[in-house]
Amino acid sequence: MELAIGIILAGCAIGAGLALIAGIGPGIGEGNAVAKACEAIGRQPESKGAVTSTMIMGCAIAETTGLYGLVIGILLIFVAPNLFVNILKNAVK
Amino acid sequence: MRVEPAVKKETLYILGMSLILSVVMELIFWAVGHMDYTVPLGNLLGVVIAVLNFFLMGLTVQNSIGLDEKAASEKLKLSQKLRMLMVIALAAVGVGLPCFNSLAVVIPLFFPRIAIALWPLFNKEQSPAQDDQTVD
Repeated sequence: MELAIGIILAGCAIGAGLALIAGIGPGIGEGNAVAKACEAIGRQPESKGAVTSTMIMGCAIAETTGLYGLVIGILLIFVAPNLFVNILKNAVK
Repeated sequence: MRVEPAVKKETLYILGMSLILSVVMELIFWAVGHMDYTVPLGNLLGVVIAVLNFFLMGLTVQNSIGLDEKAASEKLKLSQKLRMLMVIALAAVGVGLPCFNSLAVVIPLFFPRIAIALWPLFNKEQSPAQDDQTVD
């Protein structure tokens, strides 16, 4: 029983760590978006306000991808262990 | 530091939409019968995290506009990592402490995404791309 609980906890921790890898992608994407926006504003300085506004919204959308991973990680750390251990205990009974 | 009108405008829009969506979420909690003092507290924390994250991102974008491409890209990558750490820490506090409802903390993190999805409904101005299409 202790071994099974240990495997569940380890699986949840590893899964949470893997889920947080999703946080890497938005940083790269946002970086590229801002680099291109700087280039666009350099070409057309009068469009600074419109480009900034659109870019903020785009970055927020990219950011959400990382948040999905974060939420899954939090669920795996705080919610899943209790849930799976209870399921295991009920199955053993 | 001066906050640009574009950043101010978008942050206020996200804040307003987050408050509207918070009311909707609390009504759903109330309808389901899970309403207690932990729900508004969790909701408040979640909205603060989401709006603060958005505002800090706007500030970083605003400050990186004048830089060269590579420096701007690096600055935003660093900012994203630090903001993600902040969100992880605050969300873990919200989910870990019993005085906050976990769901009420986590759900508002997605309010900015929903607000952006609804953005075209409230932003009737034609984009330059649409202007080009109408000219053609």
